[in-house]
Amino acid sequence: MITPEQANAKPLPTPDADSETLWAGLARGELLLQYCLSCSSVHYYQQGICRTCGSEHLEHRPASGRGTVHSFSVVHRAPGPAFKDETPYAVLLVELEEGPRMISRLVADADPAAVDFDMAVELVCVPSDDPKVTLPYFRPA
Amino acid sequence: MSTLRGKVAVIGCGLSPTGRVPGRSPLWLAADAADKALQDAGLTRSDLDGVLSAPAFASPFHRFSVALSEYLGIAPTFSNTLQVSGATAATAFSIGAAAITAGMARYVLIAAGDSLLSGLTPDLTLRSMSESRDQQYEMPFGIPVANTFAMTAHRHMKDYGTTSEHLAQVAVVHRDHARQTPGAQMTAPITVQDVLDSKLVTTPYHKLDCSLISDGGAAFVLAAADDAAALGVEHPVYILGTGEGYTHEHIFLMPSITSTGAALSSAKAYAMAGCSAADIDVAGVYDCFTGTVIMALEDLGFCPKGEGGPFVADGHITHGGSIPINTHGGLLSFAHAGLPGSLFHFHEVIAQLRGDCGERQVPDADLGLVHCLGAGWAANATVVLGTEATR
Repeated sequence: MITPEQANAKPLPTPDADSETLWAGLARGELLLQYCLSCSSVHYYQQGICRTCGSEHLEHRPASGRGTVHSFSVVHRAPGPAFKDETPYAVLLVELEEGPRMISRLVADADPAAVDFDMAVELVCVPSDDPKVTLPYFRPA
Repeated sequence: MSTLRGKVAVIGCGLSPTGRVPGRSPLWLAADAADKALQDAGLTRSDLDGVLSAPAFASPFHRFSVALSEYLGIAPTFSNTLQVSGATAATAFSIGAAAITAGMARYVLIAAGDSLLSGLTPDLTLRSMSESRDQQYEMPFGIPVANTFAMTAHRHMKDYGTTSEHLAQVAVVHRDHARQTPGAQMTAPITVQDVLDSKLVTTPYHKLDCSLISDGGAAFVLAAADDAAALGVEHPVYILGTGEGYTHEHIFLMPSITSTGAALSSAKAYAMAGCSAADIDVAGVYDCFTGTVIMALEDLGFCPKGEGGPFVADGHITHGGSIPINTHGGLLSFAHAGLPGSLFHFHEVIAQLRGDCGERQVPDADLGLVHCLGAGWAANATVVLGTEATR
């Protein structure tokens, strides 16, 4: 059971060995993708072992930061108290130029009502409530 | 290959009070339903040697099936607390049937309960459900569990021309069905316009596109077909086919957000049962959101891909249509008590196959299907059920 205190706090990532490079990159303003040197697949979700071929020969390379909105949903009823002050906000399913998709948010100063399918967007690194964590948001390109 | 087709029967069903049940714990709700299912089966608590359950959001017990056994005063020799979100109920039927077929248990109780409405605040319920999203890649962006389903339905609208009116019609049909069901939580009639005028939750979903928050429990007793016959069970309902499909965990890794694992799970269940979608007389289709139903109808094979919206608008999912679904009112209007919510779909489809549904009875219902899904389509599980005539 979740407590009211826990529900009032925003969920923030706790990087692990699989993901610490991603979060360190975002803190520097870079979105790092994992490139498999064995099968050439490209991953946003970070794993120590390639999901496609099982290889451990993975290399991080910065994404261009460009993508399109594959789908989206504008949140009017927040998932608990921690996000109430931010509604309405647009959650985006972004398809990156390099292929992988990721969940993200439209930056707060853009109009969520103006988001559309296949709209071009670009990466904006946004500070979170935790000074060590930077989140990858997007704005209209 | 030998399968469990027709080897195990549902011999007892029970429902606790549902809707708003103040002061009753998830354990009480599950136990109340369990006793009713045992009475229906002509058995007692001490006959049970297997117990399957699901976790409850409003209960601290991680091993809910173990806590429930203690609460019932029994010591089963087969038990587990299953968790694949909304698909859990269907997996309990397949795992229970497999355990009986394998000789691991003789009488398996499936029972679960939760008190989302009375045991938690609305904020805590929504946050608890969203906790199942990834802490690193999804939750920091404020993604309600509704949002994952909303994004799949939204793209479905873009790609196939599904409209908000189609989505709303799903809600209207469910409300009409609930109006015929004793104990349903929401029975005031609604129109498509009422759905469109209700508050936006997460686009394209309005409040009335979203399932309820409820209290309640449901329970079933499974037994081998031979034991069902020996007990003289009047209308045993047989498990004819089961299948599951897990295509992703993260919504951004769903291979296509408009085609779902329901296609995988149902293909397997139909193959085991030896039937196709066209043979099914009545169905329970997990209806956490209206768009979910439209996509599931397509992937279960009830209509061609992309035509789910017009299929609903043409009256196919209600009485007299080609596949009446959720004749009790579903999660949208009967009750949605967390993981037990889809046990209510089983309760209704089994009641239809027994011919117990009175005014809302689907005539000549001999073959039924229940499809349960959860976690932004991450988990899918289908069960085909039949009567003696289709065994």
